[in-house]
Amino acid sequence: MELAGVLFFPALACALSLSPLGRHGRAAPITLIGSVIVFALAVRVAIAAAHGGHIEAFGEWLTCDGLGALVLGLVALVAMTAALFSWSYIRVRAAHGGKRKEQNYYGLYNLFIMSLLAVPILANVALMWVAVELTTLLSAFLVGFEDTPEALEAAWKYVVLTTVGAVLALFGFLILYWGSRIAGFEPFTWVGLVEAAPRMPPALLWPAFLLILVGFGTKVGLVPMHTWLPDAHSQAPASICALLSGVETTTVLYVILRLFPVVGGVPTLDARPWFICFGLLSVCIATLLLVYVRDFKRMFAFSTVEHMGIILVAAGLGGAEAHLGAAYQITGHALAKSFCFFSAGSVAMTFGTQEIASVRGLVKFAPLSAIALAGGAFAITGAPPFALFVSEFLIFKAGIASGQYLTIALLSFFVAVAFCAVLYHVNRMTFGAPHGHPTLAPLPWSCKATLVIAAIPLLAIGIYIPVVLQNLLRAAAAAMGG
Amino acid sequence: MATRILYNLLQVLFIIAVAPLVEGVATKLKENLQSKRGPSIFQPYRDLWKLFHKDEIVSDYTSWIFRAAPYVAFAAPIFVALLIPVLTRYPLFFAFMGDMLGGGFILALGGFFATLAAVDTGNPYGPMGASRTRMVGFLAEPVFIVVFLTVSFVAGSTIPYIVQLRWVTPIANFFEPSHILLMSAFLMLILAEDGRIPVDSPSGAFELAMIERSKSLEYSGRGAALMKWAGAMKFLVLICIFLNVLVTPWGLAAGTQPIEVLVAIPLVLLKILGFVLILVYIESSLAKLRLFRITEFLGAAFVISVVAMITRLSEI
Amino acid sequence: MAVIFALDALTGAVFLLTTLGVVANRQVLASLQLFIAQSLLLTFSAILLGIATHSLHLFAVAAITVATKTVLIPWVLRHTVSSEVYRTREIDRVLNIPSSLLIAAALVVFAYAVANPMLSAVHTPFAKINLPLGIAAMLLGIFTVVVRREAVPQLLGLLALENGVFFAGVAIVPDLPVIAELAAAVDVPVVALVVGMLTRRIHVRLGTTSVGRLVALRED
Repeated sequence: MELAGVLFFPALACALSLSPLGRHGRAAPITLIGSVIVFALAVRVAIAAAHGGHIEAFGEWLTCDGLGALVLGLVALVAMTAALFSWSYIRVRAAHGGKRKEQNYYGLYNLFIMSLLAVPILANVALMWVAVELTTLLSAFLVGFEDTPEALEAAWKYVVLTTVGAVLALFGFLILYWGSRIAGFEPFTWVGLVEAAPRMPPALLWPAFLLILVGFGTKVGLVPMHTWLPDAHSQAPASICALLSGVETTTVLYVILRLFPVVGGVPTLDARPWFICFGLLSVCIATLLLVYVRDFKRMFAFSTVEHMGIILVAAGLGGAEAHLGAAYQITGHALAKSFCFFSAGSVAMTFGTQEIASVRGLVKFAPLSAIALAGGAFAITGAPPFALFVSEFLIFKAGIASGQYLTIALLSFFVAVAFCAVLYHVNRMTFGAPHGHPTLAPLPWSCKATLVIAAIPLLAIGIYIPVVLQNLLRAAAAAMGG
Repeated sequence: MATRILYNLLQVLFIIAVAPLVEGVATKLKENLQSKRGPSIFQPYRDLWKLFHKDEIVSDYTSWIFRAAPYVAFAAPIFVALLIPVLTRYPLFFAFMGDMLGGGFILALGGFFATLAAVDTGNPYGPMGASRTRMVGFLAEPVFIVVFLTVSFVAGSTIPYIVQLRWVTPIANFFEPSHILLMSAFLMLILAEDGRIPVDSPSGAFELAMIERSKSLEYSGRGAALMKWAGAMKFLVLICIFLNVLVTPWGLAAGTQPIEVLVAIPLVLLKILGFVLILVYIESSLAKLRLFRITEFLGAAFVISVVAMITRLSEI
Repeated sequence: MAVIFALDALTGAVFLLTTLGVVANRQVLASLQLFIAQSLLLTFSAILLGIATHSLHLFAVAAITVATKTVLIPWVLRHTVSSEVYRTREIDRVLNIPSSLLIAAALVVFAYAVANPMLSAVHTPFAKINLPLGIAAMLLGIFTVVVRREAVPQLLGLLALENGVFFAGVAIVPDLPVIAELAAAVDVPVVALVVGMLTRRIHVRLGTTSVGRLVALRED
């Protein structure tokens, strides 16, 4: 029943936040408590999945395997830290927006979390599509929360482009259903699709795959459908950015990864070149944009595009080793990217700007944010001892072992350039000589707390991976068809 | 043999005689729809009569083209009337001479001479109208061609007598998407070719806004009468091609008995009346487009005809 | 059966015409009306196919479509977006209408080219009509989103895209579980609501609904 609880508690938290109980700033603790409970449940699910158990609830409607449990756990974790970050951050940001603004934020926040959590556990693929679509719709107003012209522009692009993508993906799923019906009646679940795939006409499976890859690829932010992503991920409040960049992209990417074994069931089709092409293109363009970026939240957004590309390449390389690397990369990215946005949000709050050029000498004015920003930058670019170093190393190793030298050469080149670019910008922000004396705003307590708490798992899994997590990652890699 | 020649001449007579009536009915209905009384439906006949009895004035600066143009324009629809099914379902004596494309060319010849004559006069409005007509013309041309191509794809022929039977055998063919799309595209073409709203206003008297009618401003007396009559006949011929060839052959005479052909006359008139009603509705509910919007109108017609062809080619 | 087939083909043809209308007309209100007409044709096609395949699901689809797309969505759009927007005559657009129409024609050709291999792989009678026309409507919907700069017409392009998916869907998956059907049906008005409210906020904050002109955020 954990799976049902995972969906129930956010709904409850939403209702409480919007009710009179949530007035006078009580919505924040309600949301935080709800997300802690959800995280505990998700951890139980993940542990069960790591031991190879099959978890289900409501008959067959909710199920979860290794890959699903990994995504579920990451969403729950980031939802918890983001809720903590929101506590005082949103109070400051919503100070001029009227009484209801804060409550509305938490109502939508909980619903958004619920839709994110629903994606990896809904068994019926059509319902899962609805959940993905809801993530967009529910987060639209969170993206436009600041109500500035830029935020509204970002929200508009976000909703329209990702919805277009989602509808294309819907068509892909309808074709998949058509194919599975022709193949003989399997239930319309991922397991059923994997079974039905070998008997499906390739002429149906292939367009369905491409439609879903392009459609949901829009929401993942794959180049060339990425144009909305840096806007939305830089204009939303930092807590929402952490969710969008850290786990929403991964949650949708999870759906694309799910297709990999389905297409793999047909010997005449090969999805891997497409994964590698899209992945490398994303990494390449994102790296180039990283060099010229002028807004530090945008910088982390481009880094998300880059990481989605890396994960896709890892999935496309094939083999258990590479898929393990992909699962590890997903984990590392979720932790590191959310942390990066927390620190970027703190810096933006202190300095009142998101421009790289306007922030100098951070270490002097705001040492905690400075350390967090530099640490986050190291973590996200894959410097040791952080998790992304291990995962990228695993991916390179798997690629070289399977003889795909060109892919690995390109990938490692771009990753190195991205490393230099991000650290160049962050270095100037942190240690550059300050011009004049900037007017600084104090950093609220919950932001500071989040910077400390979110750093713990980030550091921990880089140094030591518990056996349970290792098993979970292997189970996730197995679900990708490794 | 003799009856076939006779029927063929009857068709020509029908076109010549009924054309002004159709125009009169259209004008009257339009006025009525707009809550006005409107002139009698026989007014065009009176106008023609009046014009034929007036003196003709021809500028010294014009060449023979100006004088020849009314006769060419008048003759063109008559020739087309020999080719197309106006009253009968079966080909008549002269029908072997040309298919639908041939008919289109003959009509275009008449239009071409009228355009030349407009340039010939030296009247400032003439060349302006001529160039505008050409603009509408070259935009309409591709639509005509695609429509005829589609028709030939559907029926395997551009002979109108083969095409018309294709739509109703079996009756399900009538609902084919390509058929419906073709009809809409051709209807838009008729509106453009005949200078109807929304492309041109047939009743407008403002020279600067004219397209079709400014070409014959310089004519008087007999020339004006012929031009006016020619315009009405061209319109009727287009209606006949549309109704009898592209829509359905219903109402046309199937047998060779004289009584059948005579019965066909009121039935065809009824069909034409129905069409005129639709036309009047369109004309009253739309506004005239600005000149450069005409490209959009005909562009839409073009796209519809292309879509008709695609749906046909993919065997729907 | 042959008559139903022919009627469905006719519905498809008019469906395509309305979609072309959504791409190429100049008035916001006309766009909305064309979208309603398009939805009605989708409904009609669903009913025809429901009769032909004896599928109750398709009648449910028809009922849901009428309720959401011809009643609920127009209502939502009229009430969230101020009526000032609907009085706009000239829609601000990136490409002029003749060029858009030519591209639209090319897209329809492309839709048929895409649908053909799928149709030759399997035998689903009504898919022959609905699949290519549905794909065409999808492509035209995306195209509308791209060429329009005004908020409401962009949204209508999005909804036309969705109609295209369902138009193809009723033929290829006549027995999609009703719960999925319902969920998808709930989703569509929510899209309209969210986008409509966003439009209102943009209108209030920026005094314009020409979202295509919002270019503060871009790489340079």
